[in-house]
Amino acid sequence: MKLTLADLKKIRFFDGYSDKQLNIIIKMSSIKEFKVKDILFEQYDELSEVFILLEGSLSLGISLANDKRIHLGTIEEGQLFSWSAVFAPYISTAWVMAMTPARVISVDSRKLNLEIEKDCDFGFKTMSKIAQTISHRLSDTRFQLMNQMLL
Amino acid sequence: MLNGKNIYKPIKARLTEVIDESPVIKTFVLIPEHEFSFKTGQFIELSVDGIGEAPFTPSSSPHVADKLEVTVMKTGYVTEIMHSLKPGAFMGIRGPFGRGYPVEDFFGKEVIILGGGCGLAPIRSLLYALEHVKDKLAKVILCYGSKTPADCVYKPLFNRLNKIEKFEAYRTVDKPDDEWDGAVGVVTTLLDNIRINLKNSVAVVCGPPIMMKFGTIRFLEMGYKDDQIYLSMEKNMSCGLGKCGHCMMGEFFVCKDGPVFTYNELKNTPDIWK
Repeated sequence: MKLTLADLKKIRFFDGYSDKQLNIIIKMSSIKEFKVKDILFEQYDELSEVFILLEGSLSLGISLANDKRIHLGTIEEGQLFSWSAVFAPYISTAWVMAMTPARVISVDSRKLNLEIEKDCDFGFKTMSKIAQTISHRLSDTRFQLMNQMLL
Repeated sequence: MLNGKNIYKPIKARLTEVIDESPVIKTFVLIPEHEFSFKTGQFIELSVDGIGEAPFTPSSSPHVADKLEVTVMKTGYVTEIMHSLKPGAFMGIRGPFGRGYPVEDFFGKEVIILGGGCGLAPIRSLLYALEHVKDKLAKVILCYGSKTPADCVYKPLFNRLNKIEKFEAYRTVDKPDDEWDGAVGVVTTLLDNIRINLKNSVAVVCGPPIMMKFGTIRFLEMGYKDDQIYLSMEKNMSCGLGKCGHCMMGEFFVCKDGPVFTYNELKNTPDIWK
């Protein structure tokens, strides 16, 4: 299935991008589909794609030494994940599994990084939005940690 | 005496139903001896004869004067006795006290409500009040988080809200069980996906102090101004009148000046999240 400008305009992450910039993203992206229980990537995998969930629900977590999976949170429609694909060493910090049939936008992170370097406006917007995603994830983790400490 | 009424004298109320909300939370349905009205967000003192009293914000509609619902979490001696009461018992009600939600100020706006744990009790009353004036509101979104699915109170409320025009309700849990297929994570994660019209929106936060702190920070990050965020500071209330001083928080008495404040009013108060 082909990704369209209308698809991207529905996603909050892309608020503020020009049509020209969205068309650049379309050229470096594809839509991927996953079945229930499919693993999109494992913790410590080398990543080459940034994902945005279009439809469905995904679970994000970490694995313990005994291979036990700890479920930390849910990725909801419109959210960006696998941000590690943009930053060296490009290694995932968590695993992601499909909880329902899911459709995601896969953005080629090598091409994305090239565009970030080439176009300052595009680069600043993209980095700001990825930083906000990471900042929210960090803040939520602190919240979760304090909740546990107070139990 | 206030308006010819003895504010220290409780009204008798008959307990008609006890609803188990979670392992430690029950809702008491009370029929007061006289009609009893309150504004949503105001609180009452609920008492058991010979045992004591404690402050609670009613969880029922402020537009129903002949029935009052109060949701009580078992946390100490008085609430433990309350949890042992059966339908037919009598309780006492004093109040209403304090300042509630300024519902008229929400007219024409989107109301985003962030709730956690037992903080859904005052919010449920607010939701009933907002439903009553839904034609005058742009949108109402409830984001609620509980520790586990079993800790979630008012479970039927969520389906009901999602069927009301202009209302949306979302739930998450910190720790799922085997049957849970909904969102997992702290309640602030639910805000990541909500589209809002910032200039025309207000945020309401009610829940445990940690949740209120992180919730308020997230709303500020989203661009809400200090006076667009309403906090229900349900803590340290004792006499209900601002006389005993137990509820003092900076320059305010929570009993008298609150329990509902804007973040703008409280932001310079030390230790507001303790």
